Amino acid sequence: MRSLFGWAVCCALVTTGGRRLDCQERTTVGGYGEVHYANATGPNTPGRATLRRFVVYLAHSFDDRLSFRSELEVEDARVEPGGRAGELEIEQAFLDYRLADWLTLRTGLVLVPVGIINETHEPPTFNGVARPGFDNDVLPTTWREIGIGAAGAIPGGGVSYRVYLVNGLRAQGFAAGEGIREGRQEGQDATFANPSLTGRLEWARPGLKLGGSFWYGGSAAADSVLGSGTFDAPIALVSADARYDKGAVSLRAVVANISVKDAGAIDARYGTAVGSRIAGGYVEGAYNLLHALAPGSSQKLNAFVRHERYDTHADVPAGVTRDASLARRMTTLGLTYKPTWNTAFKGDYQLVRNAGGVGEHEVLSLGVGYQF
Amino acid sequence: MIAGLALLLLATQGPAAPPAKLAASLARLFGPGVRSDTTRVDTTTVLRVSRGDSLLGFAAVGNVIGKDQPITFLVAIGPDDRLKDIDILVYREPYGGEVAYEAWRRQFRGARVTDSLRVGKEIRSISGATISVHAVTLGVRRLLADLTAWHATGAIR
Repeated sequence: MRSLFGWAVCCALVTTGGRRLDCQERTTVGGYGEVHYANATGPNTPGRATLRRFVVYLAHSFDDRLSFRSELEVEDARVEPGGRAGELEIEQAFLDYRLADWLTLRTGLVLVPVGIINETHEPPTFNGVARPGFDNDVLPTTWREIGIGAAGAIPGGGVSYRVYLVNGLRAQGFAAGEGIREGRQEGQDATFANPSLTGRLEWARPGLKLGGSFWYGGSAAADSVLGSGTFDAPIALVSADARYDKGAVSLRAVVANISVKDAGAIDARYGTAVGSRIAGGYVEGAYNLLHALAPGSSQKLNAFVRHERYDTHADVPAGVTRDASLARRMTTLGLTYKPTWNTAFKGDYQLVRNAGGVGEHEVLSLGVGYQF
Repeated sequence: MIAGLALLLLATQGPAAPPAKLAASLARLFGPGVRSDTTRVDTTTVLRVSRGDSLLGFAAVGNVIGKDQPITFLVAIGPDDRLKDIDILVYREPYGGEVAYEAWRRQFRGARVTDSLRVGKEIRSISGATISVHAVTLGVRRLLADLTAWHATGAIR
């Protein structure tokens, strides 16, 4: 993180003056990004490369307690009207007011505190070129909504929390294959017809972090058919995750269950074919080969394997035919080379399978990622 | 015994620790009712902590930048130059506050300047707090080296 001149000037005044000044304003910039190359098996599937994400992080502290943070993201390098792919978006933009270690008030466009990847999504923090499929189709990363809430560490040590009241999802965007993903409003003229509550508890020790998250709120978005009540067409999400590191070994696992209570009515209204229950998870193990090959090195060469199982049609409402190809199994084998903790060169091979045996394939991926 | 003015002067680089937090930290580390005198070495203010005629140790406050905010921390050593403990006096980032947890801090206890303190080796990291873990570990190594060197040269005694 690059500290700009404001801080340097402030330090100089403090040091030379020999007297502490209450001048704390400073602006910092940072960023992260990732380039992906992917080549899937099968006819007519040439390799493709994309600057998947380029993110500029901008933060400002107004004083010792009040600060602003934001991420401006370009996906797939180029944005043009009617063009392919590319998106320009604000990934987060919020103000923090720190009252005590146990209480920081937060408001703005915030990251929904579910799972591992959604809040900690910088490419060097995870193995594999692309994010896990689970973190696209079940937990819709990067999930952010507008709201207000609180965060902090519970006195006594070991436990921290985040809890936010945010705008709800829009059922109109739900889909069979990607579940609630396109129901996110992402800070764009979001309807607040169904304020939703989301939160997370984390317990941490050196090498170990356990987390539990939830989301609850309606998704009717004041649609006359689905209902105008606050909790109409409710979405209930629970998720648990664990991360463990010891020596050369690192393990992580996430599970989630999403209940779409009025899936039948949503499907009848919008033809989304969204399941009434979306569930699954993954486990991943990695071993740092340099731990044995070069014991003194602070670099890492992680060999990893990840197995994902999830089904966006775990249950379907009456009137919707269950699609077996949505019960997915993905196994990813790969290497992550990290010359520093905040840079990563990645390669992996992914076996994409499903219970319906439809469109099964393999993907070879290469990528680089950084954060600072 | 702890002069409020001296406390305000403590952190010369970056923001200072609130006097109440610093006093509480010293009481936790060295016991209640200790005497602390300030000495200035280079640009750092060092606290000499004693009770009666016996020297209990030294402490200094430092700042490191986490993701974008300064993290104000304290390093205390005993007369034997062994690190007694560290404390996170002010944490300002939205994530990574786990560095203030006792379970993480206690990994530094008893360390000497000649000991290796590397993240991922002697110091275990915490997922989601990686940036702060690296920053604080680096800051502790620097301050421990400074305090030890000054003690050896007699700049603090």
